[in-house]
Amino acid sequence: MAQSELVDAPFEEDDHRVAFIFQANPPSSHEKGADGATARSAKRRKLAGSSSSTLKKHQQHGSEAANASVGVGVGFPPLFGGAESPEAASLRRELFDEAWPVLEKRVQQVLRDANRNTLDEVAGFLKSAAGIDADKLTSAFIITGPNIAAQDLLFEQLADRLCAGDADADLPGGDGADHAAPPRFVRLRASDAPNLKAVLRKIIRDASAAGPGGDEEDAGAVVVQGGRKYLDYDLEALHVFLRQHQTRRVVVAFQDGEAFDSVLLTDLISLLHSWRDRIRFELLFGIATSVELFQARLAKSTARQLYGAQFDVVQAGSVLDGVVKTAVASTHAALRIGPSLLRTLVDRQRHHVAGVHAFVASLKYAYMCHFYADPLSLLLLGGGRLTRALLQPEHLEAARTLGSFQAEVEAAVEARQLRHARSLIEDDEYLANQILDHGARRREYLLRLLRSLHLIAASGLAPLSFTELYMLALSDGLDVSQAEPATLPLQDAIRRLGPDDFLALASRLLGAISAGSPELGLAGFAADADDLVASLTDLRDEVDGLAARARARGQGAALKSRYSAQSRVLRTTVVAHKVQLSRDDATLTDEDRAFTAAVDRLCDVLARHLRCEPLADLFLHEPWTFDARAPCRDVFAPRPGTTFGRALARPHDYLACACCAAAAAPAAGPAGRLDPALPTAAALYHLYLEAGALINVADLWSAYYALVGGGGDGGGEGDGEGEEESDADDGAESGAGLDERTALVQFYRGLAELRMMGFVRPSRRKADHIAKVKWL
Amino acid sequence: MARSKAVQTAPIQPGSRKRALSPADPYEVPADDAETPRRRRRTEPSTTIAAANGQHGHGNPSDSPPSPQRTPAKRRGRPPKAAGAGAAATPHKPAATPKSARERSLPATPLKPNGIDTPSRRTIADRSARRKSARALIDRVIGGTVSDDDLEDDAIAREIYESSEDDDADGEDREDQDEENPEPTTPSKTPGRKRRTARRSPTPPRDLPPHEQYFYQNKPGLAKTSGNTLASLNLLTHEEYFSILRQLKDPHAADVQFLESLHAESFPQWAFELSQGFSACLYGYGSKRRLLHSFARYLAAQDPSHKIVIINGYVRTLNVRDMLSTISAALPPADGAADSHPSATTTLASLLSHLATLPPAPQLTLLVSSIDSPLLRAKPALQSLLAALAAQRPRVRLACTADTPGFPRLWDAGLRAQFAFVFHDCTTFSPFAACELDAVDEVHELLGRRARRAGGKEGVVFVLRSLPENARALFRLLVGEVLVAMEEQGGAGTHDDDEVAVEYRMVYNKAVEEFICSSEMAFRTLLKEFHDHQIITSSKDSLGTELLSLPFRKDELESILEELVS
Repeated sequence: MAQSELVDAPFEEDDHRVAFIFQANPPSSHEKGADGATARSAKRRKLAGSSSSTLKKHQQHGSEAANASVGVGVGFPPLFGGAESPEAASLRRELFDEAWPVLEKRVQQVLRDANRNTLDEVAGFLKSAAGIDADKLTSAFIITGPNIAAQDLLFEQLADRLCAGDADADLPGGDGADHAAPPRFVRLRASDAPNLKAVLRKIIRDASAAGPGGDEEDAGAVVVQGGRKYLDYDLEALHVFLRQHQTRRVVVAFQDGEAFDSVLLTDLISLLHSWRDRIRFELLFGIATSVELFQARLAKSTARQLYGAQFDVVQAGSVLDGVVKTAVASTHAALRIGPSLLRTLVDRQRHHVAGVHAFVASLKYAYMCHFYADPLSLLLLGGGRLTRALLQPEHLEAARTLGSFQAEVEAAVEARQLRHARSLIEDDEYLANQILDHGARRREYLLRLLRSLHLIAASGLAPLSFTELYMLALSDGLDVSQAEPATLPLQDAIRRLGPDDFLALASRLLGAISAGSPELGLAGFAADADDLVASLTDLRDEVDGLAARARARGQGAALKSRYSAQSRVLRTTVVAHKVQLSRDDATLTDEDRAFTAAVDRLCDVLARHLRCEPLADLFLHEPWTFDARAPCRDVFAPRPGTTFGRALARPHDYLACACCAAAAAPAAGPAGRLDPALPTAAALYHLYLEAGALINVADLWSAYYALVGGGGDGGGEGDGEGEEESDADDGAESGAGLDERTALVQFYRGLAELRMMGFVRPSRRKADHIAKVKWL
Repeated sequence: MARSKAVQTAPIQPGSRKRALSPADPYEVPADDAETPRRRRRTEPSTTIAAANGQHGHGNPSDSPPSPQRTPAKRRGRPPKAAGAGAAATPHKPAATPKSARERSLPATPLKPNGIDTPSRRTIADRSARRKSARALIDRVIGGTVSDDDLEDDAIAREIYESSEDDDADGEDREDQDEENPEPTTPSKTPGRKRRTARRSPTPPRDLPPHEQYFYQNKPGLAKTSGNTLASLNLLTHEEYFSILRQLKDPHAADVQFLESLHAESFPQWAFELSQGFSACLYGYGSKRRLLHSFARYLAAQDPSHKIVIINGYVRTLNVRDMLSTISAALPPADGAADSHPSATTTLASLLSHLATLPPAPQLTLLVSSIDSPLLRAKPALQSLLAALAAQRPRVRLACTADTPGFPRLWDAGLRAQFAFVFHDCTTFSPFAACELDAVDEVHELLGRRARRAGGKEGVVFVLRSLPENARALFRLLVGEVLVAMEEQGGAGTHDDDEVAVEYRMVYNKAVEEFICSSEMAFRTLLKEFHDHQIITSSKDSLGTELLSLPFRKDELESILEELVS
């Protein structure tokens, strides 16, 4: 404490201020004495002092800033305990800076596109409703779902759309002047609206300040227009302003409609309604539950003043699927998010109502972690930039610790490729070459994976969403054959196809091959997959011919295969009083048999082409995958209760000091004696745990004093039953125990800290008692 | 005649709750019952069964002492003893059948408030489960047939039996005592129970999960604490506290230092996170102020031109204006804008619009210490202000520290999205500085000794002495009313320990009655005087009723009243 105060000396005057501009180590203020006088005076006239001195500082600082270079970003610190070359470290940073923005842009695109339909509908509705009912307020109810974080983007887009979208005026009649200028858009949140005045103030301010080209002088003009001054919550001011700008429309968006006080909302709506002949208000409500529930909160008379329609927003699940497809899985993603991490992220989306934003943030954090903390992320350098010279011995050493390296060596030994295994382990150059090659292998694997996934998704046979499919492929690999270890047995689905479906499937697949997938970043790959294309085309033509022939025969029955359910006829025969069941496929015609063969061949072809191994089986996959769940969990879903509890219950975990080790040891057991050297708050916390819901401070103090007090002489105060023995080793530890006043100081501090952390609060039930409020 | 008998019997019955009835009882029901617990403990198979049976039959009269006559007669036609109990009643009042209804109701009224009714029912339930399990155990032992699938049942039964024994905290112990006491100590259940709760070890079963522990510790009647007070202890003053603190040496100083250096190694990481549009939130036990300041130093070293504003959330005078004016002072001035009122009129809106005009590069780093300080917790507006600032990335970067375990609950999903927090465990164990935590005041507030309020009891008396007579009369009235209210609330017992408050209207009426004042105006004037001296506080409850309360402890109030009356 004493030394801490010394260290803190430069900040002393600032510590009691609400806010101050940090000054990096002004060298003079290190001496406490020199600064003491000014510190004291600053403290005395707190407010005046702070503003003037901050200004001064600011000016000083500004002059410094002028000639200081502006740092662009923070470079990554070198890894390998500092042994990493600065070049490699900065390359990792570069890699991150290249990799993430690509993805971010794609994600933003997905999010924007997802809302496009809603936006169109809402804008269309507002336009069409304009002339319909002049007696009511046009209002759109947008069912946004429970996640209020996602609403921001939606309303932002709505604002953009409504303010800009009307420029192309294909408007239905009406007075042209009305629509000449884009409407003013005001976004309201319940927290902005404590009362009617404040809401009006905000509406007027935002409507007159915001908008395209909204300048300050406009706002100023409103207030003093015509020599008159309006109260800042007088809608007349807005009216005047709007007249100047030749518009009458104001769109008011209630982002979290249900959070508004219903009385306030009722008042506001009737007020806006009464102004409808001068200002045309249009209302947007973001609604988390349903319009019915929302309406129930409004007065009937108010509800009657609204003319509205309901709009739905794309469900978060499908948005998430799109994000996974475009950002996580696409070829543009430099880094693969491993299946288990992806699984946790997706689950978090589903189980907790975390918005897509949370998902994107986690994604970004995974990228950050990888490039920041994994030296081998350097291997992601593409385009020939990864050279042998960049690879330090440490890189090779690190590569040898990888799980996939060990697996590869073991596999090589099993396969009797001993030379390969040996060189991997011993020969740096050999390993370096392998590493330099691995980029090509990665690309090849990803192409195979994504193409397979693309085809499976395009076939429409798999009952899984793309996200599920992708996770499955990464974790277990892909195998569509019906054999036992298959991960995705599609054979049955294919066999059940009729000829029409068969043809549709074949052309879908062919189309998917030639079109590629812009979402996944796949170009058409007909050239690469010529044998697949060829066999698919063959099959399609063949089945087409068969179907035509069957039709020409005019059997009435369509082409069928052995597998289609109708062809299976169970024949019951009684032979010697025994019932025999036999399957009869005698009804199959030649065409049917040929079709059956075609179906079988399709199964084979697909099983041959649509396959890839699990991610984890790849040699050197670690440098380009990130599958650690812990960082994201720690950083986004902290468990502060556990952290605090642990720090207080077992300070040894953090302090690693010898004295607290005893307390940390489980051998001490539940009834273990507390070490007097424990930090005060920790000792008190242990006593706190033992206490009931109501704690007698006097007893707490005597227990604490019995713990830390100096054995014999403090006996007057400590009534410690059974605890005074613990003082024996205490005496050995720190000479003598604390005297009463010192212990009391410690006790005060510990208790105050407990209170600050919200563990206890005052109680009036008995004198000198406090109530327990936290059960961690 | 019947009437007089009813009057006679009525007083007996409340007494009969304990022991009084038993000698008169010809069947000696309770005596038999008093034996049972002990015999059962001895786990002699045969007797225990007998005891269990016996208790099953007639244990109740003593178990639910409040209504020894009522229950058997009315509810269960219990085989042998119920009849006995009925017989016991009959000789007393042979022709009292029509009166019996009233008679029954008579004892009920005084008994209810004691609240013995419910617990006894519960103990019955407990005991019957226990009895059954005991019997099951015994049967097993006698039968000697321990088959495999029986083992599990056995375990359960044993658990029930033992758990109830554990519940008694020290069953064995008590049993010994019981055996030492030869005289049948009354129904032996009720007093025994009382003694047990008193002797219950304060250590709860350790392996309970937190929520179980909560329910365990909040069991009614469990909150038994000693009557010790700190009266004998000379509480610390600020001077003494700091003078001792200055000499105090923390044995952990080196470890704390080391821990902090570990955290300091993460500075580049945090800076990276900030640069990527995340806000950092450092939580964990211990003061993180120094850490935050060294982080600020680190950031400043990285880019000296960068502005860093530190907001001290723990400052008790925290207000929006100071925050905003400091922040706007840190920003480059808006070009062309006349700085006529440099800081006085800064609003969040103008600050945000000013920020929006700046180039989208880091302009400002906000470091908020103790974002969950009591003040920042109490004002959601401040949180949304900070969130709005944090949402101005990349122009604004924000890092904060949090000191309480409950801090994530400060923000809803919207605010969380605006903040875009990454959380880091930064347990520092370093002591809170005086500016962050005023330990003396905190503790005194915790104990209900208002150090902050000038004077306490002496102060009040001094203030009152300077006030006119009717003001003193009013305060006397107030103190009296509050004391009465405290008395009532204390009697209720289970009430939470909020400030005891009295209704404004009621006080006013009384004041008028006592000719202290004649109009509400005058009454208000008097109250204002008290308000100015901070010797009363007023508040409104959820219904909007205005309440008055006195910020003193009960004993203080009592002595004030004495002073006023004398």
